[in-house]
Amino acid sequence: MNQISITKKSIIAAVCLALCVVLPQAFHAIPNAGSIYLPMHIPVLLCGLICGWSFGLLVGILGPILSSLFTGMPPVAVLPTMVVELAIYGLMAGLLFQLIRTKKLTLDLYISLIGSMLVGRVVAGLFRAFIFSPGQVTMKAWVTSYFVTALPGIVIQLILIPAIVYALMQARLIPQRYSKGA
Amino acid sequence: MTQTLTGIYLPGNTYIHRLDARVKFFCFFALVVATLFTNSWGGYLVMVVISLVLVYVSKLRLSQAIGSLGRMRWFLVIIFLMNLLFFSPENAWFSWWFFAPSYAGFLQAINIVFRVSVVVILSNILNTSTPPIELTRAMEALLHPLSFLGIPTGQIAMIISVAVQFIPTLTMESDQIRKAQIARGARFESRKLTEKAAAIGPLVVPIFLSAFRRADELALAMEARGYQSSQKKPIKKNVKLSSADAFAIFASLVVCISQIYFL
Repeated sequence: MNQISITKKSIIAAVCLALCVVLPQAFHAIPNAGSIYLPMHIPVLLCGLICGWSFGLLVGILGPILSSLFTGMPPVAVLPTMVVELAIYGLMAGLLFQLIRTKKLTLDLYISLIGSMLVGRVVAGLFRAFIFSPGQVTMKAWVTSYFVTALPGIVIQLILIPAIVYALMQARLIPQRYSKGA
Repeated sequence: MTQTLTGIYLPGNTYIHRLDARVKFFCFFALVVATLFTNSWGGYLVMVVISLVLVYVSKLRLSQAIGSLGRMRWFLVIIFLMNLLFFSPENAWFSWWFFAPSYAGFLQAINIVFRVSVVVILSNILNTSTPPIELTRAMEALLHPLSFLGIPTGQIAMIISVAVQFIPTLTMESDQIRKAQIARGARFESRKLTEKAAAIGPLVVPIFLSAFRRADELALAMEARGYQSSQKKPIKKNVKLSSADAFAIFASLVVCISQIYFL
């Protein structure tokens, strides 16, 4: 997706940033959706995949801050951990998608998504354990909060994000990664 | 759903509205730091009084200032209970199963809930008293020193500005999509996790398609008018601050320093 101009990448990043505020609001219709379905992760990961690591990193940093300023969610107490987690998601999604080219879009997407989700959760856990709440985070608490509670969100992201990428390509809103013959 | 966004600009001509946006940003961060350092009953009282005075001076209705706290009530209750029940098992009042409420946990719970609430009120005051475009310009001006490190601050400010302007449009659009999907039988309120999950796809995919279509149109229009992200834009040079701005900076610094060192 290198053919996208810098201007278009900037506007896509802006739209993803706006969706970091709007999507959690849209999920308010569903009880407890924020913590279970992790709606803010979707635009950050998509921005990293489509616009590259620098824009993914930017949206990952600014998304939670802007949402916290506009809606009060996430609250300031969890904001630093969330900023680190989402920044790593955006950065890693962009980097992995740029580096991994298996000639199969679905495989590229899944490797990039799973890799960025794992690295993001590990780094956020390390930041929580050593910087934000030193001595209060156990391995069990980390696994529970980042993998068990978030499992529905992880599954939904793994289903929805490739579907959105395919839908955007189908609608010619982003260019094809591989030509049909490849 | 548009009603749930409390941080939308409300035009006015109060002392807070007339302050320079950069000054408001600076004061906001100073007061957030003061709130994070608050650790005594006297400190809590000072921050509550300051927040109420700011709400009164900016002529905000109390419901507008604390509206988002109402939406966060369950989150606040949960963090209060978690801190109360799990924070300090050593000096617990009593212990049952894995619950161990303690006085230290009670104080920590009040501390966290207080900090979250005050920062939410302060951010509501900032957003309701400052037009989004001025907030962006202020952000660009405050980010400007980072440009010496090679960070494209102008481009970052443009992204934030476009994002802020997209929020109301996308909020309305996502609301329409949600209502359309409910009309088609989506079961967002269902108690079954599988039904709720199945309802999310038809909600999220159209929101993204519509948002990316808008992004495509805007990018095309900008490129057609010769916009180049690399070109240097002039920074607003009127750095002169009024005496009201100077007073706001002074007052917020006094509050910040006194919370850190004295209260």
